[in-house]
Amino acid sequence: MDDLFTVTVTVNGTQYERTVEPRLLLSDFLRHELGLTGTHVGCEHGVCGACTILFDGQPVRSCLMFAVQANGHEILTVEGLGTMDNLHPLQEAFRETHAVQCGFCTPGILMSLLPFLEENPNPTEEEIREAISGNLCRCTGYQHIVDAVKLSAEKMGA
Amino acid sequence: MKLKGEYIFNGPREKVWELVRDPEVLATALPGTQSLNQVSENEYEGEMHVRVGPVAGVFSGRVVASDEVPPESYTLMVEGKGAPGFAKGTGHVQLMDQGDGTTLMKYEGEMQIGGRIASVGQRLMDSASKSMIRQGLETLNKALETRVAKFEGQEDAEYKPPSEAEFAAAVAKDMAGEMLSSSQMLWIAVAVVIVVVIVAVIWFSRGGG
Amino acid sequence: MAKKYVGQRMTRTEDPRLLTGQALFVDDVEIHGMLYAAFLRSDYAHARIRSIDVSAARSRPGVVAVYTAEDLGDFWQHGPPLVPAPHSVEGVIFHSRTQVPLAKDKTRYVGEAIAVVFAESRYIAEDALEDIVADLEPLEVAADLEEALEPDAPLVHEDVGSNLASHLIQDKGDYAAAREKADLVIKRRIVIDRGAAGAMENRGVVAHWDEKAQHLTVWDTTQAPIPVRNGLAQILGLSEHQIRVIAPFVGGAFGPKIMMFLAEEFLVPWGAMQLNRPIKWIEDRRENFFATTQERGQIHDAEIALTSDGHILGVSHEFLHDTGAYNPYGLTIPLNTQSHSMGAYDIPNYHSELRVVFTNKMITTPVRGAGRPQGIFLMERLLDLAAKELDIDRIEIRKRNFIPPDAFPYNHRIIDQAFASLVFDSGNYLPALEKAADMIGYEKFVKEEQPRLRAEGRHVGIGIVSFVETTGVGPYEGSRVTVEASGKISVATGVGTQGQGHFTSFAQIVADQLGVSPRDVRLVTGDTSEFHWGTGTFASRGSVVAANAIHAAAKSVRAKILKLASKVLETPEEELELVDGLVRVADIPQQSISLGELAVMANPLRGAVEPGTEPGLESTDYYGPQYGAVASGTHAMIMEVDPETMMVEIKRYVAVEDCGTMLNPLIVEGQVHGGVALGIGNSYYEQLIYDENGQLLNASLADYLIPTAFEVPRIEVGHEETRSPLNELGSKGAGEAGCIPVPALFAQTLEDALADYAIEILETPMSPNKLFELLQAVKK
Repeated sequence: MDDLFTVTVTVNGTQYERTVEPRLLLSDFLRHELGLTGTHVGCEHGVCGACTILFDGQPVRSCLMFAVQANGHEILTVEGLGTMDNLHPLQEAFRETHAVQCGFCTPGILMSLLPFLEENPNPTEEEIREAISGNLCRCTGYQHIVDAVKLSAEKMGA
Repeated sequence: MKLKGEYIFNGPREKVWELVRDPEVLATALPGTQSLNQVSENEYEGEMHVRVGPVAGVFSGRVVASDEVPPESYTLMVEGKGAPGFAKGTGHVQLMDQGDGTTLMKYEGEMQIGGRIASVGQRLMDSASKSMIRQGLETLNKALETRVAKFEGQEDAEYKPPSEAEFAAAVAKDMAGEMLSSSQMLWIAVAVVIVVVIVAVIWFSRGGG
Repeated sequence: MAKKYVGQRMTRTEDPRLLTGQALFVDDVEIHGMLYAAFLRSDYAHARIRSIDVSAARSRPGVVAVYTAEDLGDFWQHGPPLVPAPHSVEGVIFHSRTQVPLAKDKTRYVGEAIAVVFAESRYIAEDALEDIVADLEPLEVAADLEEALEPDAPLVHEDVGSNLASHLIQDKGDYAAAREKADLVIKRRIVIDRGAAGAMENRGVVAHWDEKAQHLTVWDTTQAPIPVRNGLAQILGLSEHQIRVIAPFVGGAFGPKIMMFLAEEFLVPWGAMQLNRPIKWIEDRRENFFATTQERGQIHDAEIALTSDGHILGVSHEFLHDTGAYNPYGLTIPLNTQSHSMGAYDIPNYHSELRVVFTNKMITTPVRGAGRPQGIFLMERLLDLAAKELDIDRIEIRKRNFIPPDAFPYNHRIIDQAFASLVFDSGNYLPALEKAADMIGYEKFVKEEQPRLRAEGRHVGIGIVSFVETTGVGPYEGSRVTVEASGKISVATGVGTQGQGHFTSFAQIVADQLGVSPRDVRLVTGDTSEFHWGTGTFASRGSVVAANAIHAAAKSVRAKILKLASKVLETPEEELELVDGLVRVADIPQQSISLGELAVMANPLRGAVEPGTEPGLESTDYYGPQYGAVASGTHAMIMEVDPETMMVEIKRYVAVEDCGTMLNPLIVEGQVHGGVALGIGNSYYEQLIYDENGQLLNASLADYLIPTAFEVPRIEVGHEETRSPLNELGSKGAGEAGCIPVPALFAQTLEDALADYAIEILETPMSPNKLFELLQAVKK
């Protein structure tokens, strides 16, 4: 594949233009072309959810997309959510409830939860578990993550 | 894994026997075949391009026919390998005249699979391979009907073999019809095409006199 | 001094970095000019290598080098054995066969590396893999554990003469005699399988050789950076101090990331030196199933002998253990199984005959639990079967057999994985059992709720099992604690961190000794340039061995602080206290000096120092336990089963654990939750399915089912605290406890739920399929 394509994409509010191979995965583009390594790659077959980002506001597996498909679109990654000195309430809640252990699945889960919380500001335990059922976590057993979502729903709803 | 099945061809046994020994027709029944060459009297070598979701590559295969009893039966030994993995199998094919202008084909055999193709899509191997074989046989049947028609004087009878994409779609549809439909099934179904493709090469490409 | 931080549920210092995507994982390392590696792996479980033609791969644009075993020359060598043979047991047979960087002559498992490509991108490297033509002649495969020991079985290592990798017998007392006296002997065949660790981050290695500085830096997802450094030094002919191995943030490990010197850890650093280019190798998920170690099967033929009132006279078992194609990790897993086959019970007679078998499959090395779940499954199943036969309540039979609290230290007189006598340092098992029963409402459920539900036709069961867990094993760990001029504390230790919260829990220990906030303690783990003595994170030992080394170092620094401050403040040490980063005179708080100022004074730029003093306020200390501390606990659950669909739903789950002193209960709970989740996977959803040709059939997360938020219930955690007398902190390990009893618990609960079918579950994992078959085979 010798053809290269120019991709223009807005990530976390900043516009980027890069020339890439059509087969370059969006996850690799974000991580290695743009240096936004907060999005992690766990399986490259769309099951674990670690690579989840928001694509025009919708949670999407970036390992199942090509960078060229993102041309002209808007992406939000975990780097756009908060900073170490200024955590998003959801990130704060994760910290309070010890919802992070190794942290590898965390960015993907955060991104999956953002649109969910917008539509469900007051979710039940069942609803939360369903919302994160597409994200695998091997460390936490999910419980503290569920607690974090409940806590953040309180915080954000307040 | 074990493979076993039956199919009724719409034509006389002698014509079926000819057909399944004709590499050009077989190659079209299985899109993706890049070459199919007779190496010796009962041995064929071929290459087939396989695209199965994230698994793609060329399979190099060898088919050896033995125990031929024309036009009744034969045994096939098949080996294929490439980037996607490998497959090796043996099977026995019987053709039986039904007496009404149709031929019943019975096949039975065993296959070992390894590499990428074995580790992905294993659950659907069974039904996918059956489905694939059925589709391949249907294509062959169409080819058979065209031949019979031409033989009977219909000069404009035309055999249009399916493209790779059409073939894969037909298999997937066939499989989806057999089981719970789910969007995930489709990629797994396509993922197993390779196995069945190999199987088809195994069953239908064989040397002839 | 009053305890302030140890024992507190502190939130973690490292979280903001992880939450905002600012934490460095191995694949985040970018170095200018980096090459990417890809490995060609065998598709055959057992094959002779006739030829490997890499010419097409070499000529692909973007490919810098391709190597096979032949190209490695003298560098090609077997990896070092990581755990040696047990010397202290008589009559042991042990054939050590360790893995190689690239297969030569033959391949022994699907996934064994046969060639490596270094290219300008991973994409090109993988393209080049398809250019390589490997002519492999398939051989007969030794895939089945029992068949592999038959006389005509294909040999994984011809020079061994058979597939018996090891044979070991352990005896305690006289089981045969005990059996004669028994009122009941139960004999069963118990089959146990485990699975992949399934960490969310796959393995990776990045190596950077600086030719001018003659220095090698390696980033590695390893649990053992120091042994990796030392091993690389030997392998590459460098000084240990020319190599820096960094285990950065690691996305979960659970055991296999302590396996060292598989192909990649050898070849990536070597390649970086050969080619004078940095090289990165990141495993993909499919590769992880083939190229990363796992735990697999054991088959036990077991017996338990009891008196009519349920006292265990003895346990005996012969078992086979699958080590895969090589055995670099020695007998660790099956020795752990033996150590746990007597569970929490006072059993005077024990006999165990172990055969470790080579098979044409990936190497097995510890996965969270590391052989312990197998032993507990064996013991708890046998005990449950005995309880049924003798018509004794399962809680009651456990109570009757627990090692009593006054019997510690309790010497089992068999050897453990450290080749020492298996000694349980302390324990008090009854309170945990009673607490678990209480928390889950055992009595009420069994007497009232269950009969009511059963009358409604529902299949709901309750289970309760007890377990022990050897933890905190040696040999040792070390730590250096330093007070810096800023007044902040700097701590380094050799173990790595893969999510256990070391940066916080270890800081809590230092904070208590030095009177600072844990947030002012900067902790570095897993960087050999910061600390280079130690072994690694494994066997639930961080909170014991590393923690106590840190505690010792912090105490030493405290002593130095007090000594110096006493001089400076002209006050006896006993009248000084360390609070809020200051040393002050008790009752006269205005008389104080900050730790930072003191640190500067301890490291003067001019003047003379007293002979025999060390500069600064720093100390390096080590801790090595005499033997491991033993944690314990009881888990209970209520589960409903649908006998039509075989789907299960865990209604309640209670985990009571006793890991001695808890450094940070929040973190301990997290470890228990995670362990239970893995245990649930191991009980009903996860299994690596191999066919008779050694082909792994479910090498993807779509087919290898790691539990999701739907399968893991809310877990209620209770704590008991039986301090360990072996260390000053009184701590025991907690990392693996969660998963150890789960398969045994699952089996018991399933049987209870389906009591009307009267099935016996003698196998783990179960699965909907297997349960279906069991039910079909048994009449209601």
